[in-house]
Amino acid sequence: MEHQEYQELLALYALDALDASEARALETHLNTCAACSAELAGLREAAALLAHASTPAEPRAEVRARILEDARHEPQGGQPVARTSAKVVPLRPGAVASRWPNVLRLAAALAFVALLTGVIVFWRRDVKSRREIAQLSRQINTEQRELARDRDVLARQREALALLNSPGMKKMDLAGTQTAKSARATFVFDRETGRSVLMTEGLPAPPADMAYEVWFIPKGHAPMPGKMFTVDAAGHAMISDHVPMEARENPVIAITLEPKRGSAVPTGAIYLSSSSS
Amino acid sequence: MQAEASQISDNDLLRAVSRGDETALAAIYDRYRLILFGLILRILHDRQEAEDCLQEAFLQVWRRAADFDESRGRAFTWLVTIARSRALDRLRAVGARARLADEAAKSPRDDVGDAAEDALKSEQGTIVRQALAELPDEQRRTLLLAYFEGLTQTEIAARLGDPLGTVKTRMRSGLIRLRELLGERSRGLY
Repeated sequence: MEHQEYQELLALYALDALDASEARALETHLNTCAACSAELAGLREAAALLAHASTPAEPRAEVRARILEDARHEPQGGQPVARTSAKVVPLRPGAVASRWPNVLRLAAALAFVALLTGVIVFWRRDVKSRREIAQLSRQINTEQRELARDRDVLARQREALALLNSPGMKKMDLAGTQTAKSARATFVFDRETGRSVLMTEGLPAPPADMAYEVWFIPKGHAPMPGKMFTVDAAGHAMISDHVPMEARENPVIAITLEPKRGSAVPTGAIYLSSSSS
Repeated sequence: MQAEASQISDNDLLRAVSRGDETALAAIYDRYRLILFGLILRILHDRQEAEDCLQEAFLQVWRRAADFDESRGRAFTWLVTIARSRALDRLRAVGARARLADEAAKSPRDDVGDAAEDALKSEQGTIVRQALAELPDEQRRTLLLAYFEGLTQTEIAARLGDPLGTVKTRMRSGLIRLRELLGERSRGLY
């Protein structure tokens, strides 16, 4: 299978819905493909959010007690501790010890101490090398993430280029409003597929809890929300999005400032807007 | 620890759990019991079974907290994955799938827009349900079948009488669209 075929299996894998043979093949590919691993991580996060589609429910209070009871009886990562105390047969005092001459007892004690020291030294070394391994693997993870991010940027730029060449391409200029006179933006979209890219410049950095939101406004209809975004220090942003079917015929495109979580209808000031044609 | 538990991050709590801190386990439980129990209950449809399963899931959290790697995903994802796998294992073990299939056929469950138990519903839940409601019906249906009933693509195709290729495409587009819808919006949730 090629990379792209594997990539198409990722969503189904994230839902555990692949058949066993396909899942195995994909797992082999994932071992060597950082891009697919990164993509899978994102899809898993999305899949986990499906849990919210169920109605939250309250278990009986005793479940909490039972869980904590379980934890108390089981040490971390190991085998369960026996709940009844183990039967220990006590040594009769003097029964063994008295037969050992003092010198031998001292030698045995010394040997024991030496052994114990050895064990501790090895144990510490083991802990140290484990820590080093953990740190190295964290480094690799970070690098893989950075690589995935670079690829993402590249992919978006490619998408923008592809869009500019598509036959149904429409380009619109957005001008800054009174609120942001020096801002401007270009919006390009494909009337066939709805794929779009928005490039902004000169937008002020939004306050910490706010972000910009894109609106597609079909003629004579209510605005439809697009993506949320923020800008870099120069006020630049490049956002790929999807124009809903209803808004592909001469829409107005506007950008407003909204609470970070996003709004279903525009509530904040308009920063950028295309002129209606 | 319990007093300020609400300010401690999930990652820190799981780290404390991996060191054997029982109060951290209790804090994780208090934070996520509603959503995790709701999830398990939706899969098993039986409170008793679901409570046993929740207990099992948290025992696994206790045992395996050291395996949680925050560079690979969120704690929430890790917890949900454990709860869902435990519940699906149990579902398969009790062989209740046939029974559930009958039940599902009688009353197709689709909690989108369900008004019950509003008091327990979280803001996150509302956002996810809104996003799900925006998906085409068939996409939403395949996603929910895979997620809550643990069906594979082949089983879903058989259940719905649709071609396998169609089912694959729907699941894939559905999850990717859902990720898009939630992507920017859910940033505030984390």
